Amino acid sequence: MLGKMINRLEESFLCLLLVSMTLLVFAEVVARFGFNAGIHWAQEVTLTMMAWFVLFGASYGVKVGSHIGVDVFVKMLPRDVHRAVTMVAIGLCLFYCGLFLYGSWVYVGKLHMIGITMDDAKVMGEEVPKWIPTSVLLIGFSLLVVRFLVLFWGVITHKADGFHLADEAKESMHIADQLKAMQEKEESK
Amino acid sequence: MATATLFLLLFACMFMGMPIAIALGLSSVSTILMFSNDSLASIALKLFEATSEHYTLLAIPFFILSSAFLSTGGVAKRIIDFAIDSVGHIKGGLAMASIMACMLFAAVSGSSPATVAAIGSIVIAGMVRSGYPEKLAAGVITTSGTLGILIPPSIVMLVYSAATEVSASRMFMAGLIPGVMMGFLLMVVIYIVARVTNLPSQPFPGFLQLARSGGIAMGGLMLIIIVLGSIYGGIASPTEAAAAAAVYAFLVAVVGYRDMGPIKGVPWRKEGEGMGSVFVRNTVQMVGAIPRSIYNKEVNKVVLDAAKVSMMLLFIIANAMLFAHVLTTERIPHSVAETIMQWGLPAWGFLIVVNVLLLIAGNFMEPTAILLIMAPILFPIAVQLGIDPIHLGIIMVVNMEIGMLTPPVGLNLFVTAGITGHNMIWVIKSVLPWMLLLLFFLMLITYIPQISLFLPEYIDSLKGY
Repeated sequence: MLGKMINRLEESFLCLLLVSMTLLVFAEVVARFGFNAGIHWAQEVTLTMMAWFVLFGASYGVKVGSHIGVDVFVKMLPRDVHRAVTMVAIGLCLFYCGLFLYGSWVYVGKLHMIGITMDDAKVMGEEVPKWIPTSVLLIGFSLLVVRFLVLFWGVITHKADGFHLADEAKESMHIADQLKAMQEKEESK
Repeated sequence: MATATLFLLLFACMFMGMPIAIALGLSSVSTILMFSNDSLASIALKLFEATSEHYTLLAIPFFILSSAFLSTGGVAKRIIDFAIDSVGHIKGGLAMASIMACMLFAAVSGSSPATVAAIGSIVIAGMVRSGYPEKLAAGVITTSGTLGILIPPSIVMLVYSAATEVSASRMFMAGLIPGVMMGFLLMVVIYIVARVTNLPSQPFPGFLQLARSGGIAMGGLMLIIIVLGSIYGGIASPTEAAAAAAVYAFLVAVVGYRDMGPIKGVPWRKEGEGMGSVFVRNTVQMVGAIPRSIYNKEVNKVVLDAAKVSMMLLFIIANAMLFAHVLTTERIPHSVAETIMQWGLPAWGFLIVVNVLLLIAGNFMEPTAILLIMAPILFPIAVQLGIDPIHLGIIMVVNMEIGMLTPPVGLNLFVTAGITGHNMIWVIKSVLPWMLLLLFFLMLITYIPQISLFLPEYIDSLKGY
């Protein structure tokens, strides 16, 4: 139940970011061509949303298996060797997250101390301190740590052998299935 | 030392099955920590900048979103109808129409495996029914499906321009002639095969029917015209064109074609309905459909799918920028270039090496990953040897096309095996003659740079540069 709710929340947040980025750039195009005007804060806000989209989304991608990787070789290994290799790999991924968490902590801390603000974007006339949008580094990498720990547990308990990676060929097949369904519907008429 | 560490770590991590993004990031960060004085805070800063300072990168999620709306079975059907009506009456016409449909759908969807799945599952069965050998049908479709990454707008080209800072607009101009040429080449070969083996042709349906199916397909095809027109005309940047394309694709899919969303399957005109009623009902439904899409399950799924793919690509690109940073600070491409110069390797020799390297890499990795690793290395060398970066980009993309047809990672092979129900060996055998044609095409592209460079240079000269 809780898992489902978190899932919904993550998905809605990512979709919301993607749609708002698109509409914001589109609105800017319309404003420029239609009204010869510009939205001066649009670019900074869109780019900040992109950073949130990518860094927040990375951990969701680990969960649902949308990252790509090379798994032809590890899949040829015997199952237990494969699992051992995956455990080492997850350890390295956690090390990667740790490095970035430490670096981000120092960086965001410095931004907070110096008190730099964003260039154009203002909220109700108030300047926005730059450390707030940048803090997604900490959020993103912490979530990534959680996802890798969950995966590690999965490998220990034999629920998974390797990383859950994307398979574009398999995903394309849903168009083929959709067409098959359409054809069967037509034939039955 | 730094070079060896970087690449050893990268390949070790990658072959352990780690996500490529993290393999790139981890190997770069470790190399920076071991061989330079950069702090971790400055690396975190670089990663944040990589995701938030490149306006051109925004074109990637927007194009993915627009293609997600139009990569549906319904759009494929409309494009195929149009293609059959226009070239089906020539000898071997059904195969030629399939190639044309692949080219058009590829341009709209930008994805090769999706093209094979969508066009292939309709036309392969159709071709077998009208007397074509199944092997021929499967081979042609699998090969022409690869055109998706060459015909603009193409995501792979955007990735190349992100990796090398070559203008994406110019890449989109450069890809058009090679893409159309490759399609044309395939059609000519089919025509010859059709003459020799006496393949069937379809009856010509008449100009009225052609105009009708053309008009229907135009809804989706307008997307290509809008995007390429605004980019070639210099009115909009790829990012702006892509945002407009995404909004347009949503409107076509939900309001125009009604393949998905709240008014899915509602006809424009019900039987025996008066014109006044048609006008009022459609207006009300269309205006209502746009806000109702926000909580429509199908529309949500399309946006979520696009979000997954674009976030994955952008995360790889962000990490690849760290990788490129290590390459430049360690001057790796520079020293490779110097070695090559010392050998006295001419530009054409270098291009052979590039092609062989890319063909091998194409067997194991996805196009975007190869581009992000190889482009920052090859690009500075090519520039020193006097090879145009745009030309190099097109060569790399054509190599990636061939990579989609070679086992063990050739995506298109898996899709064809899936839709025909045959095994991989059968599919590989069916593709083999067409892959030779593609290799011949690669040679043309490699040694006649004008094929790629003519259009961008011509458009420049029109603008008076």
